[in-house]
Amino acid sequence: MDLLPTPAQMEIASLAADFFGNELPISVIRERRDAPVVVDRRIWSESAELGLFGLGIAEELGGAGCELAEETLLFREMGRRLVPGPFLPTVLGARVAALAGQHETASAILSGKATVGLALRRGPDGFDAATTPSTLDGRFQLLDAADSRYLLLLDPAGAALVETAALTDVHSEPAIDPGIRLAEARADAVPIIAWVSTQEEPIRLRALVLTAAMSVGIAEATRDLSTEHAKVRVQFGRPIGVNQAIKHACADMAVRAEAALSQVLFAAICVQDGRADAEFQALAAKSIAGRFAVENASATIQVHGGMGYTFEHDSHLFLKRAHVLEHLLGEPADHLARLVAQPAAQ
Amino acid sequence: MDLDFSKEQVEFREQVRTWLEENAPREIRPEMGPAMREYDLAWQRTQWEGGWAGISWPQEYGGRGLSLLQQLIWFEEYGRAGLPGIDACFVGLSHAGPTLMTRASEEQKTYHLARILRGEVIWCQGFSEPDAGSDLAALRTRARIEGDELVVSGQKIWTSFATLADWQELLVRTDPEGSRHHGISWVICDMHSPGIEVRGIETIEGGAEFCEVFYDDVRIPLENVVGGLNNGWSVAMSTLSFERGTAFTANQVRLASTVEKLIDLAKERTGPDGRRPAIADDEIARRLATARAEVASLRAMTYAGISRNMHRDQPGPEGSMVKLFYSDIAKKVYRLAFDLLGADALRFVSRWEPGGWSGNYLYSYSVSIGGGTSEVQRNIIGDRVLGLPR
Repeated sequence: MDLLPTPAQMEIASLAADFFGNELPISVIRERRDAPVVVDRRIWSESAELGLFGLGIAEELGGAGCELAEETLLFREMGRRLVPGPFLPTVLGARVAALAGQHETASAILSGKATVGLALRRGPDGFDAATTPSTLDGRFQLLDAADSRYLLLLDPAGAALVETAALTDVHSEPAIDPGIRLAEARADAVPIIAWVSTQEEPIRLRALVLTAAMSVGIAEATRDLSTEHAKVRVQFGRPIGVNQAIKHACADMAVRAEAALSQVLFAAICVQDGRADAEFQALAAKSIAGRFAVENASATIQVHGGMGYTFEHDSHLFLKRAHVLEHLLGEPADHLARLVAQPAAQ
Repeated sequence: MDLDFSKEQVEFREQVRTWLEENAPREIRPEMGPAMREYDLAWQRTQWEGGWAGISWPQEYGGRGLSLLQQLIWFEEYGRAGLPGIDACFVGLSHAGPTLMTRASEEQKTYHLARILRGEVIWCQGFSEPDAGSDLAALRTRARIEGDELVVSGQKIWTSFATLADWQELLVRTDPEGSRHHGISWVICDMHSPGIEVRGIETIEGGAEFCEVFYDDVRIPLENVVGGLNNGWSVAMSTLSFERGTAFTANQVRLASTVEKLIDLAKERTGPDGRRPAIADDEIARRLATARAEVASLRAMTYAGISRNMHRDQPGPEGSMVKLFYSDIAKKVYRLAFDLLGADALRFVSRWEPGGWSGNYLYSYSVSIGGGTSEVQRNIIGDRVLGLPR
């Protein structure tokens, strides 16, 4: 047992972190606030060249042959740096296409030519676990679909890919987070071009873990922002961090970040190893990391005082993304209901 | 990153589980008095005879000297078996003993360590004073030197098991000129010495292990000083990190199984609407699920801490994060139990009895105070983990 990443795993994460730091600094979110998409095409090709989209996909399917553990560390870095754009559905969409044997689609995604947006169903989950669905119907909230060729839908029964152009009634909506693009749309018998059932592969659990990993990154980054500010901001002739009101707020952030990180790494291994309590651990990770990211980000605004309330400062971007992540792939209350219904942890 | 245990470790777990099943005490632990002392010592003796005493103690002192992962396995199985904590033996095994190993003379080690391990003696702690709680360095209990003896006068407080203890790790001020951390000595005090008076302090759960201790010209041989005269502060601090992250594991496993018991209880009991089972109540179900998620992450945090400690010699200050998180969760879990019982919670059941939820709820107020308050833990995290200015 060793829960910590190996040096080789850290190396992958730090290469990605350097890339994001250079190509997609947080300021991009502000600069491209009114652009139709946040991340331009060039970055997608470069990300593809780095192998980011197929990191956890087997080599024979065109990926890098790493595991969920490495992907988890990658998404944690994305959370830390508030990387915008549809990385999560693109990574998972590539996996769905590859596992469904849709090799052309898979290679279009892996090469960065096509991106995948996320479709969140309005209303109850739609698919019957017993059959393979061929079409998609209903109303959907779309995330980062503007320039995406495909859409990924994650359902408890499985994961589906459809073509974005096949949806109707598409209209964009203003988003709370300037780092995402929101839209509403409907699907009437839209053909499903790739389907992977939950029995074949727990894509939804992977998605829960990777989303939680981004939340962890936010919890860590906001802890660091607050701590740094507490060290340098001087009031009454002393750094504000000497005051317990601030110091203890930072200490609580540190505990939340550590708890969330530990649980997400734990869950990643459970899902990767196919342990019997994988769903329990993934739901716990999503629930803990989602909540703690929001709590750390809101505490960060308070620690920064007036500066924390400005658009210019990064705090609100972390808070807004934390909220986006908390509502992805099912509501927090839904995750808790599923968690309490699970058998006990192993 | 892996959660795999080796074949040897899996076999070790089997061995521990079997031994605990066959040897753990079956009687309910007496709540107080000499019967409790005898119960705790007898269990320690059983562990010694079975070769399981001192699992984190080095072999040269008679311990098992187990690896960190073996310690983790032992504490996990210990917690899973539903066994009580080591309670009255705690100070000897986890605090005084390790301090003696690091700083005591050969004579002191030879005399005391084996007795602790064999379950012959109970130790207690004499650190806190009425005016020196979180600010331990403000302690004022004085010891003047007369010939080859120390003569101690003063008062200690919050001493668990002082009425039952044979020995005490005692911090006294031996240099009246020394300020704060200077001039303190760490002394082995015989609790049967003339001039010692112990008074019990009843706790909010009706517990009787808490005491205050008064010293009226208590004579202690100078040779009982450990680590040199006036070096007591560094001696006291030398073993704070002895356990390297495994000691809390049994508590956590116990807390996790408490949450599982509460989920079962919520399925059996009628909920607040008087009709459906408690678990059908959304608020109760969410609180139970949140508790599950939190104890899961507490365990993951412990695993992360142990993993970190496997790669270094000295444990870091992150242990304070586990302690703080544990305290918060434990209080929430026992409050949830209390709420789940509705008005039935008003009937007092001691935490040593089956269904002792009300007793455990009251006891849970101690977890964020004992062993360093949550506020002190937050200071430690702020100062030592985050490097915030003092």
